Amino acid sequence: MEKTADAVRFTAVHKSFGAVRAVAGIDLEIARGETMALLGRNGAGKSTAISLLLGLDRPDSGEVRLFGGAPQEAVRAGRVGAMLQDGRPIPRATVRELVGFVASTYPRPMPVAEALALAGIEELAGRRVDRLSGGQAQRLRFAVAVAGNPELLVLDEPTAALDVEARRAFWRSMRGYAARGNTVLFSTHYLEEADENADRILVIDHGRTVADGSGERIKQAVGGTLVSFDLAGSGSQGLRALPGVTRVEIRGDRAVLRTGDSDATVVALAAAGRIRGLQVVPASLEDAFLTLTGDHGATDDDGTAHDHGTAQTLIKEPVR
Amino acid sequence: MTEYVKLEVRRALRDPGFIIMGFAMPVLMYLLFTNLGVGGDSKDKADYQAYYMIGMAAYGALGASMGIGTGVAEDKGHGWLRQLRVTPLSPLRVVIGRALTAGVTVLPAICAVLLAGRLVNDVHLALWQWAATVLLLWVGTVPFTLLGLGNGYGLTGQTTGVVSTACMMGLSVVGGLWVPIDAFPHWLAAVSRWTPTQRFGRLGWSVLDGHAPTAGTVAILGGWLAVFAGYAVLSYRRGARTA
Repeated sequence: MEKTADAVRFTAVHKSFGAVRAVAGIDLEIARGETMALLGRNGAGKSTAISLLLGLDRPDSGEVRLFGGAPQEAVRAGRVGAMLQDGRPIPRATVRELVGFVASTYPRPMPVAEALALAGIEELAGRRVDRLSGGQAQRLRFAVAVAGNPELLVLDEPTAALDVEARRAFWRSMRGYAARGNTVLFSTHYLEEADENADRILVIDHGRTVADGSGERIKQAVGGTLVSFDLAGSGSQGLRALPGVTRVEIRGDRAVLRTGDSDATVVALAAAGRIRGLQVVPASLEDAFLTLTGDHGATDDDGTAHDHGTAQTLIKEPVR
Repeated sequence: MTEYVKLEVRRALRDPGFIIMGFAMPVLMYLLFTNLGVGGDSKDKADYQAYYMIGMAAYGALGASMGIGTGVAEDKGHGWLRQLRVTPLSPLRVVIGRALTAGVTVLPAICAVLLAGRLVNDVHLALWQWAATVLLLWVGTVPFTLLGLGNGYGLTGQTTGVVSTACMMGLSVVGGLWVPIDAFPHWLAAVSRWTPTQRFGRLGWSVLDGHAPTAGTVAILGGWLAVFAGYAVLSYRRGARTA
């Protein structure tokens, strides 16, 4: 394994399960020491990509390399630690026993106390795993992932089912580990989390890469303002042609216009006498994400659910 | 791998299901059936207590070794087998570690019943007979460990518990561990002679009679060992990949 190789490299990776194309051509490089977020909604292919990365699955075509070698080699060499989705710690062991065991399988582990401290669960060392709360169990899983002091840490939706406080603590732990010069890849379906905790974000949808860059760049690429108002039965004809408007969406009896020039759009709306319950808000991160991942048609169940979420954001956010 | 075995042995000893099936039940059944309503002269009774001690020690060892499979299925349900696959521990070592765990946990199960025989029922054997019984029963659990692992890797958690318990009960009864084969109808006795459990029991019973297990016993157990090993490998290939 050459020293200069990227921590992770995907080259035209494809993976299907029956008729479902879970990963449909992903190219990706993660440099050593980089923290990268894999962002996508449920079913976008994040977990499949992570399984391929860890060598738990083999790609149908394309190539996955970790540190210049096959994933299994890197795993066997103890260079990888992972927190998998849906994994639960096994019962009838104590926190210290479990973390100590996992550490013992690695060639250069960190001391158990250090792993527990990093995860913020030092005081639970003697506790039986089956007597931990959900948040504590999640931190234990983090301790298990870092116990071997791996160069590459992979976290599959690590904060799912955590409350706000626990999330914050979790990301502190993750950043602490990344700050030691390690490479971290985590998946999430929250753009805010990706933006706040990663150097770089890879947005995937339907198994494909739809954006790759810093959180700032992704927001710029899809930024803009949302202008919404009541249609009051007057229909949506001509809205797309208004100045600045790049997209029109109808939610119930409300029109939501994405615009690059909200002043011009609002002036034109006023001239047309259509201002009813007007709201002007900056496009939220979630909305930017929706733009990236496309399909706003009501045909997609998932997409529709997200649209509802955005509609709520619109109502809640104050006009700035 | 030593650490893995240590972890798993600790976990097994904290499992009430394992303690009940591997220790409490065999010891309790042994003491009950050798002391309640057992008539005849004292020679017959002593013979029966020694004979039944072997049967129940074998039954306890069976429970302890097959219980390993239930543990595997439980781990699979927790996503733990998958988690192990992203550690440097190779899958083969995980399986071997599990089998070795069974090797450790069956010993106390065997010894508990033998101790009850010695201390409560005053069974008298030569020292070499005690040692040979423990050793032979210990080695003889290997096929059952493999059967348990096969169930654990191949089936889901709940099904494994049911199937393993059914295998254990069925094999114990038909194999004559609970009721001596002499009391069976002719046809059942004929079937019983081919079961792994009957032959497993005979490993110990031959020691009571003061001789080594027969070639037939070793051959039949060897055959079952091959069958269960094949089953374990197949199940592992099918189950562990997707775990």
